[in-house]
Amino acid sequence: MKATIHAEQLSRRYGSNVAVDHVDLDIPAGRIVGLIGPNGAGKTTALKAILGLTRFEGKLEVLGLDPSKHRDELMQDVCFIADVAVLPRWARVWQIIELTEKLHPRFSRETCMKYLARTRIKQRSRVRTLSKGMVVQLHLALVMAIDAKLLVLDEPTLGLDILFRKQFYSSLLNEYFDEQRTILITTHQVEEVEHILTDLIFIKDGKFIVDSSMDEIYERYTELMVTPDAIEQARALKPIHERVLFGRHILLFDNAEVSKLRALGEIHKPNVADLFVALMGDNYEDSNETSEAAA
Amino acid sequence: MNTACFSRLWILVRRELWESPVAFKWTPAIIGGFILLGTALVLIIGARIDNELVFTIDGIRLYAQMEDDQQRLLSAGVLLTIAALFQQIMFLVVIFYLAGSLYDDRRDRSILYWKSLPVSDRMTVASKIVTACVAVPIMFLGGIVLTQLSLMLIASGYGLAADINIFSEIWAPANPLRSWLLILYASLVQSLWLLPIYAWLVFCSSWAPRLPILLAALAPILIGIFQHFWSFFSNFRLPDYNILWIIVQRIGKGALPSNIEWEQINDASGNSAAFVPDADTLIGFGSVNAYLADPAMWIGVAIGLVFLAGAVWFRKRATDS
Repeated sequence: MKATIHAEQLSRRYGSNVAVDHVDLDIPAGRIVGLIGPNGAGKTTALKAILGLTRFEGKLEVLGLDPSKHRDELMQDVCFIADVAVLPRWARVWQIIELTEKLHPRFSRETCMKYLARTRIKQRSRVRTLSKGMVVQLHLALVMAIDAKLLVLDEPTLGLDILFRKQFYSSLLNEYFDEQRTILITTHQVEEVEHILTDLIFIKDGKFIVDSSMDEIYERYTELMVTPDAIEQARALKPIHERVLFGRHILLFDNAEVSKLRALGEIHKPNVADLFVALMGDNYEDSNETSEAAA
Repeated sequence: MNTACFSRLWILVRRELWESPVAFKWTPAIIGGFILLGTALVLIIGARIDNELVFTIDGIRLYAQMEDDQQRLLSAGVLLTIAALFQQIMFLVVIFYLAGSLYDDRRDRSILYWKSLPVSDRMTVASKIVTACVAVPIMFLGGIVLTQLSLMLIASGYGLAADINIFSEIWAPANPLRSWLLILYASLVQSLWLLPIYAWLVFCSSWAPRLPILLAALAPILIGIFQHFWSFFSNFRLPDYNILWIIVQRIGKGALPSNIEWEQINDASGNSAAFVPDADTLIGFGSVNAYLADPAMWIGVAIGLVFLAGAVWFRKRATDS
């Protein structure tokens, strides 16, 4: 089976600023991939290249097509929410549904109505009069009603309340996702998606720092809550990150021997937000703030 | 063009009409409303001055006694003048519409939504130009038809009061069906005639970082002025082909119903003072056909297609930033 997304030496520069720096990427079908990075790391640029919305250097194939040349063909099987609130403000809800139905061969009005019924959006309303959260709800309903092979979500839940966020991710996982589809998602609200991800990519300065499956991540990284007297011993094992929570030291190890650590305290699976801080945080003061705000 | 392609184009054109209901639906309605309101006012004031409508009815009877030829000239003149009013405003509406057509969705970022649909950039550009060239003229024709029909019904009412045969004296000489067909045909040919200007606006709209209409106007104006001075200072005379003059001529010489056969009048007045205008002096199918035979028409269309290709090129690269 062909990879859903296949990239070799993918680059995109804006003048002297390199947004995406020679990355290789292979995403097979049936994955939910989280693309996580600090602001300005190149997430959106990478997504735009995949969606045919920007030029790039290197090789890139999405569902076997070059997105820079065959965007319209590609969009038969790909759908995306590139950012929040980009639905045309002048349009009425029924007009957008009508347009999408007529223009998208894989759109199901029935499914869209099912999702819309869960919201308070009215058919006659203009997008202009909807709240920001309602526009996102409408856009998500449209996108989830399209039977696509690849769904790209760039900050899909920004501006939504926590009830709808939970509901959205649960319907994404239970009603939408199957092994034929691939979902690529970027968000700052890492902790909300980490339990649905199958793969994780960390991007920093246009380069992929981590690109592996969640299983591999949990195998590779271990979090240790150290007993107070063992702290020096634990530090000698070279943790990649250390933080303090309620007076307890929490250390993160890369490829450590779990049996050794077990003697020094409690062992946990690291969560993605902590991993993000550990791997990105050191030279990135502001990204620390972002991920903490998200956490 | 196959049916699938056509139905996609159709929904995209409907999209344009949904986006600008004020420009495409309300503007013709308001023009028609003003004309009817003006007519009503004149009639009411007339009724006050002209007690028991003696002079009005006399006037109508006088009209009924005219030669058929003169009746045709008068009624067609009235109908075409009304149409011309609509179409001149339509030209302005189309200019503003096209200048924003590929710009507004870049500015409000909804381009990201449109680009998430499986619609090619060529189709998008085509939908804008088809809206301007075909859909808008038809919308305005709707306004023209309703206004003319209302006026003719009013005229018929007065005709009945004056006791004339309204069919042979009002409806037959006015021949509204022919008039509407002619207006439709002329406005489609006019769209083709103005295609280079329309396409230029779409082109500017596809790349302008802001104020596309200003950029679209400024470019030819600056070139025109430069040409003027260059020619003046290098040859001590004005240029033979000034771009501004070409554009003004293009707009002025269009196949609008108000653009009657000036050549015919000029020729006639040159030859003899005994020129008598008749219905054929006004625009007819033959004079519209003449535009299609004019090489200038097809040179313009070719230039227009080049601009449209440029617009597609820029649209391909356009995103929200």
